[in-house]
Amino acid sequence: MMNHKSTFGSMFTVIIGIAALGFGILEFVGGEWGPLTVDAGMFTAWRAVILICAGLIYLSSVTNFLDVRQLGKTVVASIMIWIVAAMDIWAMIAASIPSGAEEAGEPWFASGTEFLAAYGPPYMPAMYLLLPSLVILYFVGRRRLAR
Amino acid sequence: MEQALTVDQRWDLVDKITKETVEVGAYEPTLRDAIAGVTVRPLTGIPFAIAVLYGFWTFFGEFAGLFTDGFFVRIFGTHWIPWLAERLAGLPDWAFVILVGDRAVFAEEFLGDSCFAAGGVLTTGLFMPFGIVLWAVLALFLVLAILEDTGYLPRLAVLLDTVMHKIGLHGFAIVPTLISLGCNVPGVTACRPLETRKQRFMMIALLGVFVPCGAQIGMMEELVPGLIGWVFLTLAVGYLGFGWVLNKILPGESPEILMDVPPYQAPQWSNILRKTWMRTQHFLLVAVPFVLLGCAIVMALYTTGAMDAIAGGLEGFLATVFGVPASATPSLVVGFLRKDLAIGLLPIETMTNYQVFKSVILLTIYFPCLATFAMLLRELNWKEILGTLGFLVAMIFVFGGILNLIGMAGGW
Amino acid sequence: MNKVLLMGQANVGKSVLFNHLAGAGATVSNYPGTTVDFDKGHMMLQGKKVDVIDVPGTFSLQPKDRAEEVAVKMLEKEKGATVVCVIDSSKVERGLYLALELIEKGHSVIIDLNMADVAENANIKVDTERLEDILGVPVVTTVAIRGEGLKELVSRMGEAMPAGIESITKRVGGKGGTSTHS
Ligand SMILES: Nc1nc2c(ncn2[C@@H]2O[C@H](COP(=O)(O)OP(=O)(O)OP(=O)(O)O)[C@@H](O)[C@H]2O)c(=O)[nH]1
Ligand SMILES: [Mg+2]
Repeated sequence: MMNHKSTFGSMFTVIIGIAALGFGILEFVGGEWGPLTVDAGMFTAWRAVILICAGLIYLSSVTNFLDVRQLGKTVVASIMIWIVAAMDIWAMIAASIPSGAEEAGEPWFASGTEFLAAYGPPYMPAMYLLLPSLVILYFVGRRRLAR
Repeated sequence: MEQALTVDQRWDLVDKITKETVEVGAYEPTLRDAIAGVTVRPLTGIPFAIAVLYGFWTFFGEFAGLFTDGFFVRIFGTHWIPWLAERLAGLPDWAFVILVGDRAVFAEEFLGDSCFAAGGVLTTGLFMPFGIVLWAVLALFLVLAILEDTGYLPRLAVLLDTVMHKIGLHGFAIVPTLISLGCNVPGVTACRPLETRKQRFMMIALLGVFVPCGAQIGMMEELVPGLIGWVFLTLAVGYLGFGWVLNKILPGESPEILMDVPPYQAPQWSNILRKTWMRTQHFLLVAVPFVLLGCAIVMALYTTGAMDAIAGGLEGFLATVFGVPASATPSLVVGFLRKDLAIGLLPIETMTNYQVFKSVILLTIYFPCLATFAMLLRELNWKEILGTLGFLVAMIFVFGGILNLIGMAGGW
Repeated sequence: MNKVLLMGQANVGKSVLFNHLAGAGATVSNYPGTTVDFDKGHMMLQGKKVDVIDVPGTFSLQPKDRAEEVAVKMLEKEKGATVVCVIDSSKVERGLYLALELIEKGHSVIIDLNMADVAENANIKVDTERLEDILGVPVVTTVAIRGEGLKELVSRMGEAMPAGIESITKRVGGKGGTSTHS
């Protein structure tokens, strides 16, 4: 029987699991806290459900972190977060390109500063989960190397 | 020819051959298998499906918005349409109306949005397919191709199998349904792998009636973004509810089919881009001529006064049965040709939200577009075609009537 | 030989193969039942232009649905065609069933064990030489998405020929004994 335990992995899932859960609840609440914002659009409830579920899936894979079935769950939870974060980023990109002007003679594209400003804070919750969730790639890579 | 083997003998022989030639090593579950398992088990699979759906929809919305609102409304509204109106101002009235549109739109004091208000073949007729729908279907086709190539579609089928069985369909039905969300034409042919005539007929009828196509969805997203959730919910209820009814009343069987679930695969971008491009090309080829034709017909009916006559004739009927104003008549007239155009012609400003909602639902259920109808002719026998049309007419009245009653009860 | 027909179960890579052989753009997706109609194209074989036909996947030659019907009808129509029986190397058993049916009907068959990469990952090894001996028709291995093995497949198409089911029965295990060295 292989040892599937990994202290680092378990710590990782606990922390990111609780964070995802917390952010998910924040999505339901809505509001702005410094560099963190929840823009309560049409899809805020969707995002809330997705983040909360991702959090729960992470938390259910704390024990025997390296067991392939557990690892599968953390990867899926991470993909869920990537989807939400990727869409937040995609929304920023889509907003950063056109100038928004309507009249003839005005520029078509956003100016350099406008373009960059679109990528500044505040950010949506999933964006804060994105970087830490990439840690899972380290474990996936290690597994692949071991095979 | 030699004597043929029986099925059992053949399997027997296969068994012997594989024993001698195939060596199956120790099976060690891979991460890929584990992920596959996680995404089909309901407890984890449903949240994941929600995430995928969310990604699907937001990507689509932002993509279409970027092109349509970011650039094309201005390209057409500020540049192309006024320029063309000035250029063609000298045309005789009838030609101007058909090609460019209503002269009132180009008067100094007009403040509305000329993209929709003009109505001519070269103005609104070009704006709708190239300014709005093209970007919507491009995004939809792209996401669909990704779902197809990763191998997620069959997993969604497994996940939904239990629900679909309740209405006598197999989880596989999700495949033609999702394809239809791009375009109903390939959606109808994708029903071929369904086993019995009954299943195929049911599926095609449900697709034709309850599943809006990408072009329609694109127009809804642009014109009535706030209502889209309700529209989808209502259509889903119709799809499942009347699927259940059809299953009960139709003779024939709905056997289980075992669907193979292929392993997940990293998508090949070249294949995804190729498919997206081919389908977009097909859209342009099939849709644009009909949208242009539809615009020409509507404007011709307007100038000759025939539209008013038709609207007058339908007024009482539309008002009593559906609670929809007669100004929706042009939409109904061209609904036969293209549904995206029909939605574009709805007089949204003059209707209440609930009337718009009802009209959008009715237009979805309404006669399939010409291209889809041609496909029905190819895929079904005449009895089934009559059946589909009967179902469709019944649905228009049942659904339209119910929605109208709900509206009256709710005082909307 | 003037026609090549790609037969096989669903989702084994027939359309990928077809696109490579005929330089065509048939739809390829990762679920069974992608192709529901036939596609025709051309390829050059020994300096001659021949037709290549891609059909829907079929489990056996007794069609169970409209898509399979298209495949079986095409097979009946193109009796003289060289049939490339495409098999998913990780599910050889199923593929062989169809292969045997094709052989029984007297078609000129060449077997293509596709998705060799998938089989390798799943730790499945197929003894192609032995398989070729038993069946008496050419057997090649390919990874269609990467274009691997296609040259061999094309160069051996000419060797495709009818084989007798009885001699197969004799050559395999049982009567012939597992020790056959043919
Ligand atoms: N790993 C791997 N994948 C392959 C190979 N050949 C094809 N595929 C993949 O298998 C899937 C099915 O390929 P298709 O060519 O559509 O299969 P088909 O046999 O035409 O399937 P139907 O049209 O449904 O009968 C696609 O996702 C391909 O990318 C291969 O050699 N290796
Ligand atoms: Mg195919």
